[in-house]
Amino acid sequence: MGKIDKALDALAAMERGAVAECPRCMASTRADMLLTLVYLALLLSVPLQEVQRLVWFAAYPIVAASLAGCGYGRVLRQSLYVLPLIAFVGIFNPLADRTPAFMAWGVEVSRGWVSFVSIIVRGLLSVQAVLVLTACCGFADVCRQLRALGVPPFLTTQLLMVYRYMSVLLEELQTMARARAARGYGRRSYPLKLWGAMAGQLFLRSVDRAERIHRAMLARGFDGTMPRYTAADRHGPHGWEPVAWTVAWLAAMAWMRFGRLITFNL
Amino acid sequence: MFLLRKQKQKERGLVVIGKRVHTMHMSDGLISTPVAAVAAVAAAALIAVAGTRVKKMQRSDLVPLTGVLGAFVFAAQMVNFSIPGTGSSGHIIGGVLLAAFLGPWAAFLALSSVIIIQCLLFADGGLLALGCNIVNMAAMSCLVAYPLVYKPLAGRSPSVARTMCASVAACTVALEAGACLVAAETKLSGVTALSTGTFLLLMTGIHLAIGVGEGLATGAVLGFVRRVKPSLLDRGTQTGHKVPTGAVVAFALAAAAIGGGLSLAASQDPDGLEWSVEKVAGTGEPESGGTAAAVAAKVQNGTAAMPGYDNTLSGVIGASLVMLTVWGVCSLLTRRRPVAVKVRK
Repeated sequence: MGKIDKALDALAAMERGAVAECPRCMASTRADMLLTLVYLALLLSVPLQEVQRLVWFAAYPIVAASLAGCGYGRVLRQSLYVLPLIAFVGIFNPLADRTPAFMAWGVEVSRGWVSFVSIIVRGLLSVQAVLVLTACCGFADVCRQLRALGVPPFLTTQLLMVYRYMSVLLEELQTMARARAARGYGRRSYPLKLWGAMAGQLFLRSVDRAERIHRAMLARGFDGTMPRYTAADRHGPHGWEPVAWTVAWLAAMAWMRFGRLITFNL
Repeated sequence: MFLLRKQKQKERGLVVIGKRVHTMHMSDGLISTPVAAVAAVAAAALIAVAGTRVKKMQRSDLVPLTGVLGAFVFAAQMVNFSIPGTGSSGHIIGGVLLAAFLGPWAAFLALSSVIIIQCLLFADGGLLALGCNIVNMAAMSCLVAYPLVYKPLAGRSPSVARTMCASVAACTVALEAGACLVAAETKLSGVTALSTGTFLLLMTGIHLAIGVGEGLATGAVLGFVRRVKPSLLDRGTQTGHKVPTGAVVAFALAAAAIGGGLSLAASQDPDGLEWSVEKVAGTGEPESGGTAAAVAAKVQNGTAAMPGYDNTLSGVIGASLVMLTVWGVCSLLTRRRPVAVKVRK
């Protein structure tokens, strides 16, 4: 299966997931966004030398992903995509900082290695928290909540527009790529000139499409801003469970960051 | 436990499309909270200005146009072009390309939204690092490289060759400026132990090649459109192309001053949160004093299998074991089902 097909499948799966009932959202989408932000702020404030503290932070993505139905294994796998970049920046630390940190089984471990591991752990965890948030709540709902929180409508409208037309243009591109593959006699690469013509063609089609959309919007009374959803928050709080969920996690995160960690006698 | 019992499991789609991560997308793991906060404020201010500018243009067609062209950038990134003479391939980022069609402010908005979606859906760049990424990529290409490099070089209606040269120059400047900012932000965050000069050299070296590739791709698309439908490019130049250079420079200086000041404060006291807790609570880290703690420490030292070992290693191994247990328990309690399309009534 080609890259474009995979992308279309992934987008469709995400859309299905977002429409399905949200088991993790005991709290509202807004509370989940708050939890994610607090989580990231606390996670990133942990000093690089306290790697044992960082590991405790894995609890949130593990539990939240399991409740969201994505399974932590998948989230972990997906988050590994950022590993090359993080490792690229972090790999110089062991070379540059050779101050000894501690001994492990007779081997001296330097502070550089500890900070390298820290960078990788916090890089992966921060990506996982965001992946779980959008996989569970859905992008459209996140945008709606952003608007409710005061983000200007021009930005949320823009975000929703890009999101909606991503799959449309991917389908357009898929048709073009398939036509090229059918006539390419086995040639797979896109030399610059050919790529330019193809991307340019896609660009022209996009502009034409935008003009058609604009005319359709005007015909339906578009006045510069997108209409606001009036339906009640799909993930609205029900009873005391959402409050308990949010408060419990906030307390747990505060402990992970500032509390005395449990020590292990190994 | 009630939470686990009550919930129904559904497979949810996670989207990570292709390996599109490159060194320009700052990850959350590479920045500290103060640097992220400063960049977020700068990015929010720029987005607000862009919103006002676009509104002032009074072109309602810009709403679908910027949206669809943002989506176009995504689609165009799906097809890699082969870079001549190297045997490798790359994909477009699209800042200068969008600015040439939409004008700098609308292009900045479009590219910012692309970066936000890349972060939220594709795990490309971090959530707290969003401000950094918007400033590094969108602002540098649309608000700096396009008006200061592309426009003067390309002129009013350039030939295809001139378009190509202007694109390569503008994209290289945009990528290099972004790379310098990435290096500065990482360094200010105290993440890398490399010296500033070495890190800067490394980043700018890599991005020189990426910048030239991006420039060639941008030039190829612009050249094609110039040949096939030149009115599209000329339409863009009529409105909204003026970026007040003075304002951009003043803003950049202000951001640098604020960033520098904050990071100086942060470096003198590397952990802002701890500092604020100390201020509020009046104490630093909770004291581990007390008789019970002393006795516990004695027992711990006596019973530990490897008493000479640092807490870090045992802490990491212990915490990892606990997390593995949590994962196992969660997996057992939350059985997964295949994706089922649910129609809402």
